[in-house]
Amino acid sequence: MRDAANNETLYGVNIIFPDLNTGTITNEYGFYSMKIPAGKHQISVSYLGYQTLSQEIQIEKSESLNFNLKESSEILEEVVITENFERLNIGSPEMSVTKLDINTIKNLPVVFGEVDIVKSLLLLPGISNAGDGSSGFNVRGGAVGQNLILLDEATIYNGSHLFGLFSVFNPDAIKNLKLYKGGIPAKYGGRVSSVLDIYQKDGNSKNFHANGGIGLISSRLLVEGPIVKDKGSFLIGGRSSYAHLFLKLIDNPNSAYFYDLNTKLSYRLNDRNSLLFSGYFGRDIFNISESFKNTYGNAVFNLRWNHLLSDDIFSNLSVIYSDYYYGLTLDFVEFNWNSGIKNLNLKYDFNHLLNDKLSIDYGLQSTYYEFNPGEIEPSTATSGINYYKLTKKYALENALYLSVNHKISERFSATYGLRFSSFFRLGQDFLNIYNNDNPLLFNEDFGIYEAAAPNAQKILPKNEIEKTFINFEPRLSLAYSFNDSQSIKLSYNRMTQYLQLISNTNSPTPLDIWTPSGKYIKPQLLDQIAMGYFQNFKKESYTLEIEGFYKKVKNRLDYIDGANLIANNAIEQVILSGKSRAYGMEVLLRKNKGNLTGWLAYTLSQSEQKTEGRTALEPGINNGQWYNTGYDKTHDISLTASYQLSERWLLNSNFIFQTGLPTTFPTGHYKIENLTIPVYSDRNSNRLTNYHRLDISATYTPSRKLKSTFTSSWNFGVYNVYNRKNAVSLNFRNNEDTRMNEAVRLSLFGIIPSVTYNFKF
Amino acid sequence: MLLSSISFYSCEDVVQVDLKESEPRLVIEAPILWQKNSHGNVQLVRLTTTAPFFGDQIPPAEGANVSVFSEAGVEFKFEEIESGIFRNDQFIPELNKTYELKVEYNDEEYRAIETLLPVVSIENIEQTTSGGFGGEDIELKAYFTDPPNIQNYYLSRFFYEELSIQIYEDKFTDGNRTFAYFSNEGLTPGQEVGIEIQGISKRFYEYLFILRSQAGSSNGGPFQTQPTTVRGNIINITNPDNFAFGYFRLSETDFLDYIIQ
Repeated sequence: MRDAANNETLYGVNIIFPDLNTGTITNEYGFYSMKIPAGKHQISVSYLGYQTLSQEIQIEKSESLNFNLKESSEILEEVVITENFERLNIGSPEMSVTKLDINTIKNLPVVFGEVDIVKSLLLLPGISNAGDGSSGFNVRGGAVGQNLILLDEATIYNGSHLFGLFSVFNPDAIKNLKLYKGGIPAKYGGRVSSVLDIYQKDGNSKNFHANGGIGLISSRLLVEGPIVKDKGSFLIGGRSSYAHLFLKLIDNPNSAYFYDLNTKLSYRLNDRNSLLFSGYFGRDIFNISESFKNTYGNAVFNLRWNHLLSDDIFSNLSVIYSDYYYGLTLDFVEFNWNSGIKNLNLKYDFNHLLNDKLSIDYGLQSTYYEFNPGEIEPSTATSGINYYKLTKKYALENALYLSVNHKISERFSATYGLRFSSFFRLGQDFLNIYNNDNPLLFNEDFGIYEAAAPNAQKILPKNEIEKTFINFEPRLSLAYSFNDSQSIKLSYNRMTQYLQLISNTNSPTPLDIWTPSGKYIKPQLLDQIAMGYFQNFKKESYTLEIEGFYKKVKNRLDYIDGANLIANNAIEQVILSGKSRAYGMEVLLRKNKGNLTGWLAYTLSQSEQKTEGRTALEPGINNGQWYNTGYDKTHDISLTASYQLSERWLLNSNFIFQTGLPTTFPTGHYKIENLTIPVYSDRNSNRLTNYHRLDISATYTPSRKLKSTFTSSWNFGVYNVYNRKNAVSLNFRNNEDTRMNEAVRLSLFGIIPSVTYNFKF
Repeated sequence: MLLSSISFYSCEDVVQVDLKESEPRLVIEAPILWQKNSHGNVQLVRLTTTAPFFGDQIPPAEGANVSVFSEAGVEFKFEEIESGIFRNDQFIPELNKTYELKVEYNDEEYRAIETLLPVVSIENIEQTTSGGFGGEDIELKAYFTDPPNIQNYYLSRFFYEELSIQIYEDKFTDGNRTFAYFSNEGLTPGQEVGIEIQGISKRFYEYLFILRSQAGSSNGGPFQTQPTTVRGNIINITNPDNFAFGYFRLSETDFLDYIIQ
């Protein structure tokens, strides 16, 4: 299934045989397969943003039917095409999924006018973040480190630039994205809360095109074209911010900027084979007066081979290399710090159609990891710093999965599967061994947790296994349709997470480390059930999705009071194991047709954590009581509206209202060494003030000159129209001047206007 | 430091917040400091209690009995010279010896044990001009040589307009010549600054590390560490749950006066 204009494969296209009451959708690579009785049939092929194809076909034997769909905007005339919305798939067992089209994302108003995939996802139910300026996102009360982020099947470790101000995904290079909040298919694993699966465009194999935009903070340019017409294509895109140049103009020696490079090469060898190569490279750079330099970012390279073993079996073999790097140079103390993760990943996935009621997906995956928690080296001969290396860690993560898509009856469908995952923590230099295998002691006299000193260090070669974990992860999704427009669905999944993001701040920083499970750290285990009701109204003019979910996680790490995680070579000495849970209800009401479209999203939820002491004498964290996670928001409401005022003008607005984030208020204070120390109550038992803001934007598209392929548009936006100072944190401190204690609210983004110019040719 | 560079768009406002009040708890600040080349015979211990957060003053804890015992069992009694401030002017400090603090307050007894830790001397002060965000502030580096093969921890204090405290460990600098760092945009030539380093224990270093993160500097936001209750080394023998805040510690110190060039 391809786009007629540029040969891009299309994912999620609906292929329906109305008279047979059956249908399917294309996979990530545009492939579909169906078994239907021989004869004459109506076929309807529809997809968001494209003209629906309706035709009659005659099927006598096994055939390969390829379709090239035309974009709906190609019929220039007045009438707005009514097919432009993401269809709700009533009968499919797929639930708890958020699909956002790139074009919808490009029109939403955002901070600084920078189109951002992750910021747009925040407007949908069940997806949230820990406040302005925080990195990452939270799905159904889950932590940021529990999201699996995939770009063309490669894992991305840090999805944010500039501490969460922007995400690493260049919207021009993205073809489609899908976020699984629950009901996660057996194909995915390794993180417990969600899967954000993003695919880059392949590149236009018909003509050369360029796409770009100039904004206040960053600009981007993407070029794509054929290598061999209709067979091979390339795509190269770059994006860079330049706000730091203004600082240079005023002779300020500081700078903070980022850049991204996306590339893709694709080649269709023949009808049954295609080769795809993708690459992504991104960096964030901070310089403070030339003496502090900080650089970090992801690099991923991926080679894939799509192969049709037969008409019924589609396979994809991927080889992926990914590298996450973090480096720091402090000239005035004279040292360099390097840390990062490298991994090499092999995946072999199959889609296999058995008959008109059954299709199966199966495959295997294996990833080899090398963790470098940090290396510090003196940068000059006179430096007072000694060379120090934190022990490198190695691991192998594998999975085997089988998933069955079963159309049990006209009204009842199910997807059930099993993922068998395993994790081998490999040997390393210097593994600490403790008395009674206990790295964390409790000092009863002082009432505090203390690190235990190791009594030995074990050295094991990298090719030997230190610890093995094996888990079975069943997945189940059921759907029952009352009729064509109403259904209820139920899902259950168990997920395992072998890599933990070690972070004890409210929002992760790039200094946070991913650490593999092993002798002292068990993998996180999650069980989630979800139930939902789905309905289309008035011929899909409106859709309603209501879902309830409950999830619990075992082996959720928590940190002892005052744990210092930076450059800590023995994390096991500062962690405690606990559990977390989240539950809630999500409502999404969408209006899909007409000049006014949009949605109302409401999430009511609770997200909390509990870490008990290991014995009756130990307090654990917060006295072993449940406490709110740092990103718990009881109410989260987003109202998004889009109005096509005329052919040239499109207006958009968002209104967001959220319960204030949890925080801890002091109940007293004292002074030591001239410092004012607050005395705190129960962790996260208080709240910041409620968060709300309104954003608006307008997109102006000038008329296109006939015979010219050049199109452009202007986007004018205002973020936080009524300039509400939403609290990011409340800091209790002593005022240096008045010497009185005060509560200080920190807020980040006030009213911010923006202008962006986008072009395409 | 990192957060400040993107705070060009951030806003800080003082706001009204209603706070609950907890029961007052005893706070014992007992630093025994022995400056090199001095007798170290005058020592002060300060007792206060916790107060409501927005309250004016820190209330002193009066009427307590304060003593420090040497390893040999010699008692140094502290007299209350002012409300909550206790003094002894006959103290005999000895390096690497253990001392015990005993405080009786409100019919409960509090104790702590620590060792008097030595410190190396400040060798020299180097002054450069590339500090701060503008890269133009005067910076001072107080150099000293860390003893090799021992885990050493330091507290440094800079006496300028107001007191500035830094803590160091020698994890990356063991045995090397290293420095205590101080910079302030207000420093101008001709001004006098006092610089001091103290030898402290690992436990006190960790205590101060947490204490500083709780003291709330001008940072906040998503990088805030979790609020915690910071426990010192003082135990309530009578009623363990009614523990005291604060720390009993003994340090040798070295002090230098410096005039900005």
